[in-house]
This record gives sequence, C-alpha cells and structure tokens, in this order.
Amino acid sequence: MPLKPSDIEALVELFDASGWDELHLEIDGEELLLSSDSRAGVRAAPATATAAPVAAPVATSAPVAAATADAGAPSATSARPASWVPIAAPNLGTFYRAPAPDAPPYVSVGATVTPETEVCLIEVMKLFTTVRAGISGIVREVTAQDGEMVEYGAELLWIEPT
Amino acid sequence: MAVNRLFVANRGEIALRILRTARRMGIETVIGVSDADRDALPAQYADRAVVLGPAQATRSYLDVNLVLQAAKSTGCDALHPGYGFLSEKPELSRRCDEEGITFVGPRPETIEQLGDKLSARAIARAAHVPTVPGTDHITSVRDAQRAAEELGYPVVMKASAGGGGKGMFLARSPEDLATNYDRASREALASFGDGTLYMERYVEAARHVEVQIVGDGMGEVVHFGDRDCSVQRRYQKLIEEAQVTAMPPTLRDKLREAAVRLTAFANYRSAGTCEFLYDMAREDFYFIEVNSRIQVEHPVSEEITGHDLIARQLSVAAGQGIGVAQQDVAFNGHAIEIRINAEDPVAGFAPSPGRVTAWEPPAGPGIRIDSHMRADDIIPPFYDSMVGKLIVRGDSRETAIDRMLQAIRDFRLEGPKTTLPLAAQIIDHPDFRTNQFSTRWLEDKVLPAFLKE
Repeated sequence: MPLKPSDIEALVELFDASGWDELHLEIDGEELLLSSDSRAGVRAAPATATAAPVAAPVATSAPVAAATADAGAPSATSARPASWVPIAAPNLGTFYRAPAPDAPPYVSVGATVTPETEVCLIEVMKLFTTVRAGISGIVREVTAQDGEMVEYGAELLWIEPT
Repeated sequence: MAVNRLFVANRGEIALRILRTARRMGIETVIGVSDADRDALPAQYADRAVVLGPAQATRSYLDVNLVLQAAKSTGCDALHPGYGFLSEKPELSRRCDEEGITFVGPRPETIEQLGDKLSARAIARAAHVPTVPGTDHITSVRDAQRAAEELGYPVVMKASAGGGGKGMFLARSPEDLATNYDRASREALASFGDGTLYMERYVEAARHVEVQIVGDGMGEVVHFGDRDCSVQRRYQKLIEEAQVTAMPPTLRDKLREAAVRLTAFANYRSAGTCEFLYDMAREDFYFIEVNSRIQVEHPVSEEITGHDLIARQLSVAAGQGIGVAQQDVAFNGHAIEIRINAEDPVAGFAPSPGRVTAWEPPAGPGIRIDSHMRADDIIPPFYDSMVGKLIVRGDSRETAIDRMLQAIRDFRLEGPKTTLPLAAQIIDHPDFRTNQFSTRWLEDKVLPAFLKE
C-alpha cells in the first residue's frame, strides 16, 4: 500500500499550490497523474490508487517508551461493526470532550449527529480547534481520553452512519 | 539544565543521526513525524514517535505550535531542530525558552542577528572580519546602478532576508540591473516577505570555504576546522571536503581565526558554520554568512577530527560547555562527502521519488553512510530529495578520491534515479583531482559534458 488516500490528498494540495502543469508519479506499478489540463485525464486516476482501503488508519501504533505518558490508547473493542466510521484527529493535540472544564460534553454515546455537529476540541498550544462530525449518524463510542494527547489520524469517536 | 528526554523536530538522515548520538549519551528520544514518515527508520529507531499531522510540511514539520505541543505532551526537556524546516526560525528558539524546553541551537537573538545578512555583515565588520565589498539596502534600479559604478562590474544582487539563490542575480552592466531588478525584488518579497536587496562585488573565480564552530554561548568558541564546498549547482552544494586544500595553510589559519572571532563576538551558542568566499585570484577571503544550525556536511569535519558534533551540541545544551578544548582538536587526513539526491540530472534534476528497490551501501575502513534508507523504503515526494550522504576518509586527498570512486562503484541503489553517477564523474574529473576549479565549474564545464554523454 504505497499510496494512502491521505497521501493522494496531500499530493493534490501540493500540486494545486505548485503552479506545475503536470505531476506524474509511479510507485510499484501504481500510477498517479495530476494535470491542470482537463483533457489530460484519459489515463489518470488508476483504480488501484483510488481503491486503496478506506478503512480507518491504524493509528498510535508507534513505539511508546515506558517512561512516557500513555497516548490515550484506544479501548480494544474487537466487536466494532464494520459499518461504523471513525472521526480521526486532524492533527496532534490535546483532546477535549467539552468546550470548557465545567461544561457538558459536546456529544455522548447515543447522541445523534449531523455533518455540522461539533463533537470535540483539539488544543495545540492554547489554540483550540473544533472538530465536526462530517457525517450523519449516532455516536457509538468515544475512544480518546479527555485531556490526553492524541496523534494525527487517531480515532477519537466512532459513528454509526444513518 | 540536564537533557533527559530529547525531542527531534526533523526527519530523514539528520533525524536518525541525532537520535543515534542521543541514545549513545543515554538520553531518551522522541521524534515528531508526519503521516508520510510514520513507518520510516527514524520513527522506528526513536524511543517514541508521535505523528504530528499529514504529509504536507506546513501542517507537520513546519508548524511551530504542533512541534512544541508534541514536545511538551511527551515530556521532553530539550528539542533538536536538525537542519532545514524550523532550524533557523528564531520563533522556535524563543518559544522553547518560554516553555522551559532547552533549544539545541543558538539563542533567538543570535539567529535573528546572523540570519539577516546585512546585520550579519555589520557584526562581521565589528569583529574585524573581512566582507565582500558591497552596499547597504538598495531600493531602486537607479540606486543599484550608482552603487555598481563605485564597486565596479560585475556585481551580484542578493535578497537581504534570504538565501538559497532566491532574489539573487548577476549583473555585468547597468542594463542587466535594469532588466532583472524588479523580478528579483518580487521574488525576494514572495519568498521571504521582504523585497529588500543589497549588492556585492562579484568574485569571478571563487571557492566556497567555511569553518565549523561550536560555541558555549558565553564567548568560548572552538573550531573543528574548515570545509570546501565549491562543487555547487544553483548555490546548492553537491560535494564537500575537509580540510580546505585550495588555500595556503597560513591563510587557512586566518580563516579559522576569523570565524572564531566573529562567533565569539556574538556569544554564539551551539554548532554553527561561518561561510566565506575565497577569491582565488586575489588570494583573499570574505565573510558571507553564518548558518546557525548543524549543517548537512558536518560529517567531513567529524571524520578528520574524530569529534561527534551532535554530542558537542548536546553537551552545550546540557550546560556542560563544549567539552573539548581547541588543543584537543587535531586534524587527520582528508574527508569527502557526496550528497545522494533522488533526482535525475539528465532531466534537469527533476525529483525522482518512489520505492527504493535495492539499497546495498558500500562498507569498509574510511567509509561512512549517513542515511535513513532501507531496501523497500519509499522516498516521499513531499520533502527534500536527499536520501543520504556517502562520506569517505583517506590519509590524503588522493586516497580519499580513490576510495570514494570505489565506494560509489560498490553502491547498489535501485529504484529512483540519483545523483550518484554524476558524483562519480565529478570526483574522477582531472580538474577535481588537481583541485583546479571554482564554484562555477560544475555548471559551466562538468554538467554540459555529463549531459552530452
């Protein structure tokens, strides 16, 4: 799996910002052609690249030193239905379930969410970013620990789409 | 001030290089990587790796807040920025201070003073270090033309805030200035947020020479000899050597003294490099700039002195001083480094990312590889194209050259196109062997011949 969906997204962004006419990338037989010419798409976007597994990236598998704080390891729920969708951390930061220490959490298990529903906060050096659900469904699990560090791509909550 | 747990805010070979020395010194290590590097060797080698953000550097390696947050959350008490990325951003050094994290590098004020070329020149003059005859800020074509009459053509215009060739151009006549001035100023503005240019007399035949120093931040500075980095393409170094053999030894001593004088004057802390232009015709050197970080080419200095420069940085950071006195630094033999870039010289040095299908580096006495690559690894397309460095040491320059040629022949690297074949051609060139070349040589003479073949 040399090219992940996130890699392709990043490449598209890089390409957009570059002013290049064309970017042709070939890794292990997978080809990616980005072109500013709309007619160039004939052999672009090979199925192999776009069909890369869309399942949640297995995050936080990096080695952890014994002495360092635990990064809010996901609770090992083996029986998670395949239809559930994770909401992933947009970057590394501190995970907060509520807008303020004494406020109720944005969402709890069982809550109904729409794409615009705010589900948590990620703090980076006192800068707080609201994370939205991005999907309609029901909150089935909150995997990240309140006040703990989460890494980019870590699963924060699981949503059962409706 | 002890350093117990070090955060490495970088990727690639330099991240691995720093991690290895830290581990040897008994320091715990944490690295902050992008999503593209989560399976790379540095992430596996560190005691702990945290993923900062997606592959784009602006949302991972270049985000000061993310890096600081990661360092704090993982309980690190020191941070090494490596080279590139945030290494010469005064903001990172300053914010580390504010958060109680020891920055393994110079103070923010030092990076600011030396990072701006005009203020660096002022410091050099105050420390009685010669600079290229030149001007202060130039704000118009007419200013530039007037100044050039005084200095004498050819002249070179440079961006006050920048480096890497951005905003830089050569002018041999008033017409050249008129043609290029606006474009260069715009380029400087776009790259550095500052369109100010300045002018210097252009040295026709120059060598790029530099001195490696380490300062304790209180005025004590030790030098680790000099390097010659004259093999360049578009101001990017390809091959570096230590020591400088193209200068008379007495002049070389003066070069080292100048570097120590300048950095001691600035109370320089940690490792740094003073870069100079050596005018081959006039046999004179001029200060160019200080790079306030560890540099790509630091291994050649390590090879001829036997000192680990990252260890010296960590020693200073831990408040234990440089740990080496000048009289303990002896120079033995000659070292050469070549940068292995995943680029295709035949296709205008276009990046050649992708999977490395074979990686079998050479080995043996006097051969060193600084790289994070393994067979089957992927070179991501998002970052610098350098995949590693091949460094050799020999008793003399001649034996080092022969050893390098053999090492390149023994290097089995398959997958991406690289600069290895070009490096072999450069090293084996009669001009290189006889040491008769300038910073223009690669582009003017070697590359055209290489591309014709």
